[in-house]
Amino acid sequence: MDRLFFVRYLDELQKIMSENREYLIDLDFVVGDGDLGLTMSDGFLAAYQAGKDYPETDIGKMLYSAGKAMSSAVPSTMGTLMASGLMEAGKVLKGKTEIENEDIATFFMAYEEGVMNRGKAKVGEKTFLDGLDPAVEAMKASFAEGDELSVVAQKAVRAAREGFEKTTTMIAVHGRAATRGEASRSLKDPGAAVALLMMIALQKTV
Amino acid sequence: MKKVINKPENYVIEMLEGLYIAHPDLITYTDNDPHCLVSVNKKEGKVGIATGGGSGHLPLFLGYVGKGMLDGCSVGDVFQSPSAEQMLAVTKEINHGAGVLYIYGNYNGDIFNFDMAAEMADMEENIRVESIVAGEDVASAGPSAPGESNKRRGVAGIVFVFKCAGAAADAMLDLDSVKRVAQKAADNVRTMGVALTPCTVPRVGKPGFEIAEDEMEIGMGIHGETGIRKGKLETADQIVEEMLEKVVKDLPYERGDKVAVLINGLGATTLDEQYIVTRKVDEFLKGKGIGVHRYYVGEYVTSLEMAGFSISLLKLDEELTHYLDAPAQTPFFVQL
Repeated sequence: MDRLFFVRYLDELQKIMSENREYLIDLDFVVGDGDLGLTMSDGFLAAYQAGKDYPETDIGKMLYSAGKAMSSAVPSTMGTLMASGLMEAGKVLKGKTEIENEDIATFFMAYEEGVMNRGKAKVGEKTFLDGLDPAVEAMKASFAEGDELSVVAQKAVRAAREGFEKTTTMIAVHGRAATRGEASRSLKDPGAAVALLMMIALQKTV
Repeated sequence: MKKVINKPENYVIEMLEGLYIAHPDLITYTDNDPHCLVSVNKKEGKVGIATGGGSGHLPLFLGYVGKGMLDGCSVGDVFQSPSAEQMLAVTKEINHGAGVLYIYGNYNGDIFNFDMAAEMADMEENIRVESIVAGEDVASAGPSAPGESNKRRGVAGIVFVFKCAGAAADAMLDLDSVKRVAQKAADNVRTMGVALTPCTVPRVGKPGFEIAEDEMEIGMGIHGETGIRKGKLETADQIVEEMLEKVVKDLPYERGDKVAVLINGLGATTLDEQYIVTRKVDEFLKGKGIGVHRYYVGEYVTSLEMAGFSISLLKLDEELTHYLDAPAQTPFFVQL
């Protein structure tokens, strides 16, 4: 696979964020300021366009530039976090013009690393990571078992969905939701919903 | 919404255009982007100081770029962070060979973008960047334990940090020394505010929160973040007393200390009222045996048309006094 795989993935990402714009706005209105649907659809659209138009074959550089485009388009908290994920993945995959299936796990591990470094959040604190981390773990285990790509993606979606639903057992410690303390527990985390959508977009890409 | 504006979506860009028209001798912009403001005054070998954040707080941030204070500033939409790329553009323009210090308020969106900009400056441009995150609103969170990150919001006290760091950079101190002075100012400043009316983001068109006609909210943040107490509006003297009791206890400021005081209007509170506040602040501090080196009274950090004010105290030592008293000339801050 070459860079076109990630261009297709970015395309699926921008489509799914746009299709779920109202859903994300509604989720975010409960705990934040309600702009998540806009920042995710605008941000991934900018990332897709930058990736599609990137003139070189280096996959890492392409992802880095997609991340930068996203950070410029949507410098909100969540926009910057998602951009940081793309940029970190870009750094890790820099120099590659071809990837193996397993590099998809490398991409998401780096993405998670980038988001963690920027946001200083940990798994279990009711954030995007609580959707992404179980998916990355499921993906790694599935690759280790020698599953084919479609099965890997399917397992990642399932794990992300479970992770997203489990956020209703957690107390928020970051962002505006954190000011609610215990009252934040029963709410679904909009960031984890974004992680689930990212996995569904992967399933559509492979 | 009742504002003197044209189209709400042009609010920030038209404000910026006006600012450049009025102050061509002090400020301009870089990267063909009016959101990336820089001082026209350049000094080779001087540490560059940059800030940034959302619009809607004038004179913060833009108004403090000029001689003896800041060298550059990027601003985003109302109450929204500028992008890391915009911060990077400013960073490149104000680096005069001695590195750049970022001084900004403790808000996630700003932190994420300034951190990203600092990484880009290092990786792509080879510019050394250091950062000071100011958070001194005693109503926003408790003091942080050693090793724990500061959870307090950054509000008007950041102006003292700008002033002291700006003067230190102007005296040609190196990056580590300017950072040390900035950190010292940030560590010795505390603020508390009170809001009487809410504010409206132009593109939203209605207030983001409510304060009843006869009520106030002590400790409310400059974007309408929840304060520590909502209650019936009291007299100026009562409000000042409640706020200063908490501020003085927090650092603490003690008998024999010398401080600078910033009485800051949030946007719709008159200067008359601010001076009524000043009178009580002085009486209170005298009662505590705390000496005031100088007062700053006026609008320094606003929250659109919010009514209310904040009080900031900066505990001074010889070094901070020296830098605080140094001359400065920016669109909104002139000190001879």
